[in-house]
Amino acid sequence: MVIDPIYGDALVFASLLTLLSLGLTLTFLTTKVPNFAHGSFATVGMYVTLTFSKVYGISPYIGSSLAFVFGALTALTQYIAILRPLTRRGASIITLMVATIAFDFILLASLNIYADYLTRVLEIKARYFNLRIEDFILFNVRGLLLVAPFLVLVVAITLHLCLTKTKFGVAMRAAIENPSLAGTLGINVDLVYQVSWILAGGLAGLAGGLMPLWFIGNPDTGSFLLISIFAASVAGGFYSIYGGFVGGYVVGLAEVLGTNFLAKTVGPWIIPYRPVIPLMAMAIVLMVFPQGITGLLSGVKWSMRLKEIVKRWSSH
Amino acid sequence: MIPPEYLFLLDLAGTFAPYIIITLSLNLEYGYGGIPNFGKALAVACGAFVAGFFPGRLAAELLNLGAGFDPMRYIRENSIVVTEINRVLASDALFGAGLLTLTLILAIVIGALLGLVVFYSFVKLRAEFLAMVLLAAAEVLLLIGYNYPPLVGGTLGVSLPDPFIWAGEYRFVAVTIFLLIMAVAVFLYVHKLMKSPLGRLLKAVRDDENAALAFGKDVTKIRMKAFVTSSAIASLGGALYAFYTGSVIAIAYNRVSWTFWPWVMVILGGAANNVGVVLGTFTFVAVRKLIIRYKYQLSPFLPFDVVWLDMLLLGIALLFILLYRPEGLIPEKPVRTLSLEKLMKYVGPKPARKAGIPISVERVKSILKKGGRGLS
Repeated sequence: MVIDPIYGDALVFASLLTLLSLGLTLTFLTTKVPNFAHGSFATVGMYVTLTFSKVYGISPYIGSSLAFVFGALTALTQYIAILRPLTRRGASIITLMVATIAFDFILLASLNIYADYLTRVLEIKARYFNLRIEDFILFNVRGLLLVAPFLVLVVAITLHLCLTKTKFGVAMRAAIENPSLAGTLGINVDLVYQVSWILAGGLAGLAGGLMPLWFIGNPDTGSFLLISIFAASVAGGFYSIYGGFVGGYVVGLAEVLGTNFLAKTVGPWIIPYRPVIPLMAMAIVLMVFPQGITGLLSGVKWSMRLKEIVKRWSSH
Repeated sequence: MIPPEYLFLLDLAGTFAPYIIITLSLNLEYGYGGIPNFGKALAVACGAFVAGFFPGRLAAELLNLGAGFDPMRYIRENSIVVTEINRVLASDALFGAGLLTLTLILAIVIGALLGLVVFYSFVKLRAEFLAMVLLAAAEVLLLIGYNYPPLVGGTLGVSLPDPFIWAGEYRFVAVTIFLLIMAVAVFLYVHKLMKSPLGRLLKAVRDDENAALAFGKDVTKIRMKAFVTSSAIASLGGALYAFYTGSVIAIAYNRVSWTFWPWVMVILGGAANNVGVVLGTFTFVAVRKLIIRYKYQLSPFLPFDVVWLDMLLLGIALLFILLYRPEGLIPEKPVRTLSLEKLMKYVGPKPARKAGIPISVERVKSILKKGGRGLS
């Protein structure tokens, strides 16, 4: 049986997008600012993997765990050096957004400088590169196709256990729900925020680190991905961590498979318009729920809604 | 011939003028209106695409060159057709002026319509979601411009007829002067508008939406006015820039050049202060032009492209401004209302007596002291 390789593309893309959108949702929940530099965290991870793979000959899978560290450090720097002081000075949300854009400038410029350095000094192909040959093959499929969804599953389970079973997880949820009340109860809210930035940057770095195993990497890959990441977070309900998982898969699969479907039915000219799909997803979700999708995906309401639906169905 | 030293200044002024128009429009919606338009490139690209699409086709049709309104033929034969049009324009300045005026008006109208559509699609969104959606919308227009050749030639771009070609070797001087005049006109318009009751209302809505609502103001409508006006002005700026460069290529209207840089300029200069924004724009453009001018002297010493150094410095500079001088070079000034003398003209003893109401200077002063209550 031959499976169209597009499904592999879609699954890997959606899995990596999920890791990215999850991080974005986490930082949005804590710091309340959409981070426009989030895509570049992934690019940082990408170049960490490239460097360790080409310079030291380390497998990209080990390299991407180092990418987690570098991504986390980048995100933590952004929070401690920029967003925290600005928030303490009472900056508005618009100012904070502009600050994340400024940080994205710095990251983008640094990554380009680094890519030039790799190309000119170390003579490594650092633009439009990929590391496909470094991937392993298992049961006739490329490794990342198995690793990426598995990784998402591991992250989901770990995060769920952390948030519900550990003391720190409960404190984290409290700090997200009501920072000032959590603070008066002795929860170190700032530490919670720092951890969420570490997680967000780390997951983005990890996703970015794995990306060149399947896709083509460039210094601006992350900022191109930004709109898809936003769309995935918004589609999953910007206020729900678990929504980040759903949104990532919905938007990721829709983007790849939808474009493929349209290219077959409407014509191949539609392929360059691929970024329109996540935008449409975001626009539609926001038009239906203009204030964000608060609580739509929270457990209680959904279970109630499910019961209602079941009741209606059974009465027919 | 124009000496090279003046050429640098001319280039500086020519880049400065369209950016002034765009930053003033951003100041109108963000500085005064508090609307986080992270899709400024949308309106700018709209204007530029109008300039890339419309005047060449119209002129070709009017001059019977045959390529006019055929979607692809005009793009394929673009250079030949534009050369032909320019030959006519070189001797007929009036035709060029008409073409230019018509295009600019069209750019303003289409920019305003686009603003209206975008505004009513996303009017209910909160600031952070609005910013994301506008950013994405600008990206989509860029995508269309880049992938749909009949619009502005796709990846290859398109040349424009040059309405300033009659000036011969002083073409750049002519177009720069025209752009500066337009920039001054836009400045005066925005400045007047923001000093009018509409400007004050806009600020009131920005500062406290609920208070404005309580006073019976239509908050959505005033925001819509600001957004649409701003879109129209930015679209004009985009069209002017297209005429300045003489060609349009979609990829040039990306979010870095036409959204983020204008934001940096406005924040550097001081939001909600038009003079500050002009100063901020000038500083930014001058610094960038100087970096570009001297980058070739610097590049042998660096193992990377100097363009990135430029971007790195801008990012750092913007962060420092946000952290240490968030109000910008020239901070926002409080709104000046009518002076006592002027007020007297309307509610002072003379008009009051005319209307049969006994009122004295002291009474007006005491009313003003109480914060204007009981004035009407």
